[in-house]
Amino acid sequence: MLRISRRAGERIMLGDDVVIEVLEVRGQTVRIGIDAPRAIPVYREEIWLEVKRENQAAAEAAAAGDLPKLPAAGPRGGPTPPR
Amino acid sequence: MSLTIESSRFGHLEIDPESVLEFPEGLIGLGGSRYALISEGPDAPFAWLQSLEDPSLSLPVTNPHRFFADFAVEVVDEDAERLGLDAASAMDVYVTVRAAPSLEDFTANLKAPILVRAGQAWQVINQAPGCELRVPLFSGTQANGGTAAG
Repeated sequence: MLRISRRAGERIMLGDDVVIEVLEVRGQTVRIGIDAPRAIPVYREEIWLEVKRENQAAAEAAAAGDLPKLPAAGPRGGPTPPR
Repeated sequence: MSLTIESSRFGHLEIDPESVLEFPEGLIGLGGSRYALISEGPDAPFAWLQSLEDPSLSLPVTNPHRFFADFAVEVVDEDAERLGLDAASAMDVYVTVRAAPSLEDFTANLKAPILVRAGQAWQVINQAPGCELRVPLFSGTQANGGTAAG
């Protein structure tokens, strides 16, 4: 991992389009500003991680096959578009 | 143009092009950008997102409004801008379902709903209060919105 020391008000460029700015350093907390193109979603890592795990768990729980009461949406009749 | 895949769950599947959803940002952490939304019909409680890139990947989803009367989605301004959301844009909403051997243990992820519009879909972080990662779908205490509102 690249390590860079920055003071409040200083910035880091990721490529030409993403700017990370250290806004404020106070005790154990650093406030960071992020300027990124619209197309790039920005997540707090812990939230990204828990959603990722939940997505995986949803896929795995379903793949495990122990779904006695989940009404199966089978292929019969073919998939239908959402309403 | 018809599309077929050999799904681990469903076997040989003919995919209706109308049911294909493009996820420009993927499902969070799972990657993959093309899924088919497979449903039995408007009244079926659950549908499936079947990956068109990974035949072994499928997730059950449901319409949260069906289980949580006062479910709402609130996103940060950046997300709203990125997705071009405004009051006028109607989007369908789905949430992923974590299945379990017994119904009481089924949960829905209200924190990261999937917004669908015109064949495109985004999984977003819901800022609405009480919308947690694992909310029981069928709770003993009448999961009629009360759970979602928290």
